[in-house]
Amino acid sequence: MENRDPVKHNYVHYDGHRHDDMNNRKFGNDEVDVCIVGVGAAGGVLAYELSKAGFKVVGIEAGPFWNPQTDFASDELHSYSLAWNDTRFSIGNDPIKLGHNNSGRGVGGGTVHFTAVFYRFHESDFKTKSIDGVAEDWPISYKDLAPYYSKIENDIKVSGPKHFPWGAFHGPYPYPEREPISANSQIFREGCEALGIRSTVTPLAILSAPFDGRPPCTNRGFCNEGCMPNSKFTTLIQHVPKAIKHGAEILTDSMVTRILVDNTGKVTGVEFNHDGNNYRQLAKIVIVSAYAVETPRLLLNSACPQYPDGLANSSGVVGKYLMPHSGHDIVAKFDEEIRFYKGTPIMASTQEFYETDLSRGFVRGYTLNAHGFRPVALAKNLAVDAGYWGKELRQIMLDLNYYALVSLVGEVLPRADNTVTLSNEKDEYGLPRPIVTFSFGENDNKLIKHGVQKANAILAARGGKPAFVIPDTGHLMGTCRMGGDPKMSAVNGFCQSHDIPNLFICDASVFVTSGSGNPTETVLAIAARTADYLISRMGKGKIENKGKVLRLH
Amino acid sequence: MTDLRFHYPDYDVMASIDEWDDHTKEIVLKRLGPFPEKRFLEEQEVRKLRLIIKHLVYDNRDEILDWILSYIDQRLHSEIGENQRKLKAPPEKLLIREGLKTLDKLAEKLYYQSFADAGTKEQFEMLASIQLGKAANIPEWATIPQKDLFDKLLDMIISAYYSHPTIWSEMGYGGPAYPRGYYRIELPWTDPWEAKLPEEKGQE
Repeated sequence: MENRDPVKHNYVHYDGHRHDDMNNRKFGNDEVDVCIVGVGAAGGVLAYELSKAGFKVVGIEAGPFWNPQTDFASDELHSYSLAWNDTRFSIGNDPIKLGHNNSGRGVGGGTVHFTAVFYRFHESDFKTKSIDGVAEDWPISYKDLAPYYSKIENDIKVSGPKHFPWGAFHGPYPYPEREPISANSQIFREGCEALGIRSTVTPLAILSAPFDGRPPCTNRGFCNEGCMPNSKFTTLIQHVPKAIKHGAEILTDSMVTRILVDNTGKVTGVEFNHDGNNYRQLAKIVIVSAYAVETPRLLLNSACPQYPDGLANSSGVVGKYLMPHSGHDIVAKFDEEIRFYKGTPIMASTQEFYETDLSRGFVRGYTLNAHGFRPVALAKNLAVDAGYWGKELRQIMLDLNYYALVSLVGEVLPRADNTVTLSNEKDEYGLPRPIVTFSFGENDNKLIKHGVQKANAILAARGGKPAFVIPDTGHLMGTCRMGGDPKMSAVNGFCQSHDIPNLFICDASVFVTSGSGNPTETVLAIAARTADYLISRMGKGKIENKGKVLRLH
Repeated sequence: MTDLRFHYPDYDVMASIDEWDDHTKEIVLKRLGPFPEKRFLEEQEVRKLRLIIKHLVYDNRDEILDWILSYIDQRLHSEIGENQRKLKAPPEKLLIREGLKTLDKLAEKLYYQSFADAGTKEQFEMLASIQLGKAANIPEWATIPQKDLFDKLLDMIISAYYSHPTIWSEMGYGGPAYPRGYYRIELPWTDPWEAKLPEEKGQE
């Protein structure tokens, strides 16, 4: 019987092939046009755009093919299973907490449990070296991405304000802004207003009206636990089902362990492990979209005689310039009940402090998001990151309903000694576990101090008493940065490896700088642009890079 | 625990269970027991952990402690990764197992008795010193990093404690919210089923 569910109609069964049955593979014996490693934010968009253009596409995902109705729950503890839980070593002066906070596992990747805050980067984000004398300029500008930002916003119907005050894009968004906003967001906006700071209803990849068989948001509040009404965009429910309809094959529970290279130095496909057995998928083009830790790890683990330092790494930058955002949570206590877990977690924001203002004593800036928490996340952060336990923590948590919270999304400047490298310890596939090394720099710390003060001032202006500041980070970027100079970057502005023309790296690891806002929209826009580039080049039957021409047919 | 301030003495989040989806119901109900046999933790480890949990969560209700112990056991039995650890820290199974033994070594050095036999105040002081990485020097700390041990225990225990519906009720937290969602999210409104302060109730 035909499955008419708008989200799951292609989930289990398509053209007689099952996504989890290696004996009934669709393209198992073929050399496909494109093999995508990691079907998350970027991988989902790539699979959709490339299959729609008529290419034979296989997406290989390490985690499961989630079904929102039976795999997600309104429960924080349960939602940890949606993260990449594999053990990594995390070291440095400011070791990054890894897991649910900054990774996804399974089709949809991190979009499955992100807050769906949807910002474009500003023009200045792409040229911090020219403007501020820090980091490097991107090889692309805001203008290069602008049409793709618009395309993505329209494809998924972003709900946003009539007028967005900052950056190059002021709206309107395809769908109206979300309303009403939550009490926590209301408190934040009132505090901003009292101080003369402009604020806005946050642009969100969460529906304010029906679209594509999906209903508007019910204000359940569990965006980070996986959206069950399907009101929040994920590539799991938006791009991947459509990609399958256009002919893509999506393999799940399959860990890519190596990218294969032939004796001419081009890549020929990948090796992957499913249920303890090894398989190969041959492809004319391989795109790695496995996020800022697993992407460099796979490239480094694929070292071979031609590329002894790992693939796409003649520059030596693979694994370097890792950036999170500083993500401190600023909490104030109020005399009235707020109940900050109600409604979409982030519904109000300011980017008034986004751009460089040298009078502050540091370069670049930050976004402040009113951010509602649920109890486990708050208690855990208070305990492990801020050191509270016992009676003190118990009483704080009994007052849960009286807190309001603002989160910082602060730019972290790229530094070569913040890295993803390989350890000597092996995982269950026999691959070295990654080591993630991170320390904040001086500029980062000054920026955090300013942001924390500002957030506290906003909450205090609305009558809050400063309660706690919980140090945290969010998002991961860098480690395979793009650039014009092959000696200083892994890929060009179209995410194509400088060294190997049929190898692409397309996810947040290509970011040159972190920007000062949530990065997901930029990841999707870069993926859409890379897809466009591939479609235009592959249509001609060849792909080239700096004089090297690779025939595809 | 009468020295704590409770705002919602009458609220019971479980009264809304029929409003929850089946998957969430199943997950939450498992936290109320009965709990499966322990598969990783040994009996003496359970006894010691129970004492530690009481200190960390400031609660001594057995039905809640039993759930936390069951969660720790499930997690240590599982082969799923632990997200991250320090280069010098042992894997979490070993960290907890050896760490619990080390607590006895520490108690013996300081108080000439096991951790469990030391007084409540002494147990508290040992835990507080481990959190800061400043416990009395014993050779075991060379392989069991103190702060890693404390933070690992704290992480697991706090995650489980604040996932128990009784604790949700006490905080006035509405708990699972699908498919119902929230209708009144603006200040100062609440949906009819949410926790209410006693004085508000009086006014109704």
